[in-house]
Amino acid sequence: MTAALKRYGVGILAIAVTVVLFVIPLLFMALTAMKDRREANKLEFSWPTNFALIENFQEVLSARRFMLVTAFINSTILTVASVAIMVILAAMVAWVLQRRRSRWNPLINFLILSGLIIPPAVVPTIWVLQGLGLFKTLPGLILIEVAFGLSFCIMLFRAFISTIPRELDEAAVIDGCGPVRLFFRVIFPLLRSVIVTVIVVQSVAVFNDFQHPLYFLPGDANATVQLTLFNFQSQFTTAYNLLFMNILLITIPPLVMYLFFNRQIVAGMTAGAVKG
Amino acid sequence: MNTTPKRRWPVIAGSVTAAALILTGCSAGGGESSDAKTITWLVDNTENTITYAEKLAEDFNAANPDIKVEIETRPQGGDGDNIVKTKLATGDMADVFSYNTGSLFQQINPEQNLVPLTSEPYMDNVLDSYKPVVTSGSEVYGVPVGTGSAGGVMYNKKVYEQLGLSVPKTWDEFMENSRKIKDAGIDPIIQTYQTTWTSQLFVLGDFANVAAANPTFAEDYTANKVKYATDPAAIKGFEHQEEAFKAGLFNEDFASATYAQGLEKLVNGEGAHYPILSFALPEIQVSYPDKINDLGIFPLPSDDASKNPLTVWLPGGVYLPKSTQNVEEAKKFLAFIASKEGCDSQTEAVGANGPYLVEGCDLPDDVPAAVKDMLPFFEDESKNSPALEFLSPVKGPALEQITVEVGSGIRSAKDGAALYDEDVKKQAQQLNLPGWN
Repeated sequence: MTAALKRYGVGILAIAVTVVLFVIPLLFMALTAMKDRREANKLEFSWPTNFALIENFQEVLSARRFMLVTAFINSTILTVASVAIMVILAAMVAWVLQRRRSRWNPLINFLILSGLIIPPAVVPTIWVLQGLGLFKTLPGLILIEVAFGLSFCIMLFRAFISTIPRELDEAAVIDGCGPVRLFFRVIFPLLRSVIVTVIVVQSVAVFNDFQHPLYFLPGDANATVQLTLFNFQSQFTTAYNLLFMNILLITIPPLVMYLFFNRQIVAGMTAGAVKG
Repeated sequence: MNTTPKRRWPVIAGSVTAAALILTGCSAGGGESSDAKTITWLVDNTENTITYAEKLAEDFNAANPDIKVEIETRPQGGDGDNIVKTKLATGDMADVFSYNTGSLFQQINPEQNLVPLTSEPYMDNVLDSYKPVVTSGSEVYGVPVGTGSAGGVMYNKKVYEQLGLSVPKTWDEFMENSRKIKDAGIDPIIQTYQTTWTSQLFVLGDFANVAAANPTFAEDYTANKVKYATDPAAIKGFEHQEEAFKAGLFNEDFASATYAQGLEKLVNGEGAHYPILSFALPEIQVSYPDKINDLGIFPLPSDDASKNPLTVWLPGGVYLPKSTQNVEEAKKFLAFIASKEGCDSQTEAVGANGPYLVEGCDLPDDVPAAVKDMLPFFEDESKNSPALEFLSPVKGPALEQITVEVGSGIRSAKDGAALYDEDVKKQAQQLNLPGWN
């Protein structure tokens, strides 16, 4: 008995904690999304007496002239584009920083670090965007997301690149490889696991971002999924059934991503953790 | 590494540029070109607001086919305030926008940001009692949209009927009623401190009594001449909350209950009184349409039975920012909002949750019972007073935390009032009001 407890006790405890922390909230969300408004407002963890799943789904989808559909399209473009740019640019910067030592390095490192530390200010950023004619456009917001995510990505990439032997670069150069080809053909494929990490971490961050779309991409035509949550929630009236249905719908894409990339994510996490 | 041929770099530059160009093509939406002019209207995202806003836009478009109104939304609360300020600061505001009146209106720099409407013909339709809260300096800047509301005690009429009680006119009668209700096994006073703002009603809803006792309170308060802690009428709100807690009249789960749960208790008769804003009516109408007429509202009682005035919340205003390009069209729209047709269109969309502040607007006969309770107070100016936030820009951010403490017995009424006086000091100094430095 004690032997069995010793053997499985920790595992069972871990499972119990997981259930409490992750499964119960998810279940609560799903249950509330099935209730009608009156029952949902009680916010109780109970089986719905009156199933309204289909009605809620229809109402959420068609609210504000199918805003959720537009929002999903916008969020997808935003996430894919900004993460793609982040991965390519961050890998390039990290590679150069890691391989080519110069007296500019401390300054560049400081700039990267300040990207993580200094909080963004809204009004000046809008001025810059207005000056560039990018305010209220998706490309403008993509650039903002890239700017805020880039520092973190560079740090991840740099730590990983330091584990790739320099001899590989040298061999390729001796074989007549130019820098662009060297990067895309030799280095970039080697970064696979850390690229997956960056993609996962940054897509979730960008997809879940609420504040930047709120300030930099106003207007109903430009809504992203997180902004649609505000359709159902306000100070004096809140439709919890619709709110949770909406949350459920926008939780699905990241969830699916985690299910598919589970193994790579774990591999990538440990790969990035090696000190350089 | 030194063998790098330089000419490779343009390749990267080129591919980045190409990527940027492709992305630019992805931008959502696009201008539509037609004869109709489109103006935008920024409103908050309450279900109620959006419903009447869309109806107003639709009806306005029917009356003026060449102007289309597009609704944009923003969140409420602190985020919403920031959005409005940001948009005004960057000149990116919609053609017309809805925003609070009173102290929050003063904070968006009306003289600098808004087009004055004082001399517009449709301002004659706006009731005079509304104009002060959208006035800055000598100019009026907004027209009312939505209905007036009240902060008072919402009560369950069924419970009152069963126990044979009558609406209390004084605080003592209110406490007397509450004790009888408690003896009958019903929670006398509902408090919901998880939704912190609901805790403030004992203080904020009591302001009409303060104003009745001391008509110049708001002015003196702005000028730092009176204090909540030292004014005998003003501290009553805090004291009443403390007294009710000490008498054990709150529902048992007052500390963790939410606003939605409070409404449910009240509607189902598990609780009898709920000091709240009548903004709750639209929510009740959606969630419990069959029970809306069980509810009534009365002012927070004071010690003086002869006065018993109601504290009212004036509706938000619609303003015209200086940055708009479509002044003529926007003004036409404002005129429509401040007209009988405008009110009718709102009533049709969401029903009337209180009286309008536009001349000639009638309420339909089937308004909820609580709205009928409010009407006599609105009709007689001596029987109501706008809440303090409409009369004075001084409002501390921590009132809701303080009233939670007072209502939970953590802090005494006197301490709470004194702490609130400290709290408003910072804000008054920030606004650079005379008498605070």
